[in-house]
Amino acid sequence: MTVVLGIETSCDETAAAVVDDRFHVVSSVIESSIDQHRAFGGVVPELAGRAHVATIGPVVARALLAAGLDLHRPAIDAVAVTSGPGLIGSLLVGLSAAKAYAMAWGVPFVGVNHLEGHLFAPLLEQADLEWPLLTLLVSGGHSMIVLQSGPGDHQVLGESIDDAAGEAYDKVARWLGLGYPGGPEIDRLAQAGRAGALKLPVSMTGADYDLSFSGLKTAVVRATEKHGDVALADVAASFQAAVCEQLLRKLRAALEHYDVAGVALAGGVAANSALRLGVGELAAEFAIACHLPTKEMCTDNAAMIAAAGLYRLAADGPSPMNLSASPNWQLVDVP
Amino acid sequence: MNIIAIETATAACAVGVRTSGGVEVTRVVDEHRRHTESLMPGVAGLLEECGLTARDIERVVVDRGPGLFTGLRVGIATASSLAQALGCGIVGVTSLELLAHGARDAGVRGTLVSAVDGRRGEVFVQTFRLGDSVEPVGPPEVARPRNVVIEWATNGAPVTFSGDGVGRYCSDFDAVPNGTVFAQSVPSVHAALALGGSRGPGDTISPLYLREADAVANFSTRERSP
Ligand SMILES: [Zn+2]
Repeated sequence: MTVVLGIETSCDETAAAVVDDRFHVVSSVIESSIDQHRAFGGVVPELAGRAHVATIGPVVARALLAAGLDLHRPAIDAVAVTSGPGLIGSLLVGLSAAKAYAMAWGVPFVGVNHLEGHLFAPLLEQADLEWPLLTLLVSGGHSMIVLQSGPGDHQVLGESIDDAAGEAYDKVARWLGLGYPGGPEIDRLAQAGRAGALKLPVSMTGADYDLSFSGLKTAVVRATEKHGDVALADVAASFQAAVCEQLLRKLRAALEHYDVAGVALAGGVAANSALRLGVGELAAEFAIACHLPTKEMCTDNAAMIAAAGLYRLAADGPSPMNLSASPNWQLVDVP
Repeated sequence: MNIIAIETATAACAVGVRTSGGVEVTRVVDEHRRHTESLMPGVAGLLEECGLTARDIERVVVDRGPGLFTGLRVGIATASSLAQALGCGIVGVTSLELLAHGARDAGVRGTLVSAVDGRRGEVFVQTFRLGDSVEPVGPPEVARPRNVVIEWATNGAPVTFSGDGVGRYCSDFDAVPNGTVFAQSVPSVHAALALGGSRGPGDTISPLYLREADAVANFSTRERSP
């Protein structure tokens, strides 16, 4: 059996996990520096980099300990690490640590694309899932619809031409004077609001699968400036409904065109209650499997990186020790 | 004791190995800020040259700065993870003391100011007395090169300047009447190996930044906008 240590440091989470080749998560540890970034309304790269360098060692030690492995001679076969996309200063910490662990233990290491990692998350919760899958990958950095024919076999059907969905949530939350990150706050407020209170445009009505959230954010700003008396909950509900409508409309179009066995949600925005509900309804309507990730699998974690690493190691072999970080690595350019 | 040293505080990336048998090899493996790409191949190459494997390493020495923030993080993450995984001791040294030791090893005596390029028009500096040993005169600080130059021009005492911060602002430092520039841009890896062997190892090594993160420094002046 192959056992992999995964390491993830692409944004504000410092994570390590041990996963075996049946995609069983033996241990998974996540530390976040999010509290240091809240006051700034977004992740401050230099603060994130500083936090990673202080946290990576203890997090890896905890993941190995929780897996019952010896820190000095762990029974692992490889180290997988996110080498992009992400914040360069953050990526470099995980990448440097991963190379060092691999050299010290005498095992290969492999650089993994963070987005491909997210695509492996459903496998960690259901190893025997049926392919193909249509996956809606939505986070603070990315929004895309991906056709997965099998593990590691993916095709990006469409993606955001401007802001990511999570980014729009953060920007609108900041405009409304809510905390950072904006997703959970807006989602919570929206429960008590009326989705029809604000008239917001539905973006991207074209036939392709591309997405756009920048105009929606601007529309929220205009509408609230014009009607200053709209309740915060109503703004949140209207915005959330507009985001979900666009995502679900594109997902529906993809489901009508591609014959798939299931639909999956991935990425930080996959924690959004309205989106989970909508994707669940779509799956029921099309009578296909629905893979909604647990909270831990929505956030950036190292188990998904280890899983993708297992696949990449078998498919492409180990990475060279001179591998550098790729802050703008696109999913279409994998491997 | 088999020791390896990792040096990534400046634009250069350097590594060193000293074996228990007394063989020492040091090498600058890159000079253009490609720390991530060049560090581990450099370490692997030197170990092989010395007939060692990673498992033979008994101590890791790392330059904890001050210097390039990303370079420091690459060096410290690498060094700490190596030491952690091998279960061996780790020693942190500073770029400024390595420059002082490097100058002393080359015969420089008297007052020496180490200056590492801190970017944004600043240098990280520290003053040392070089004699039988290397003694720090003050703490490491952030300074404008011009202010360092004015201070020593006014002081009038003989002084030697060294480090890539001096190289970057050489026309300023050249103008100090009693000043001498000792050309040395990379903190001495030989000195790192020597200090790493003589000092007791610590538990954790953190970068010596000497400067707050950007956003923290600018927060009071930040505007909030949609
Ligand atoms: Zn992510």
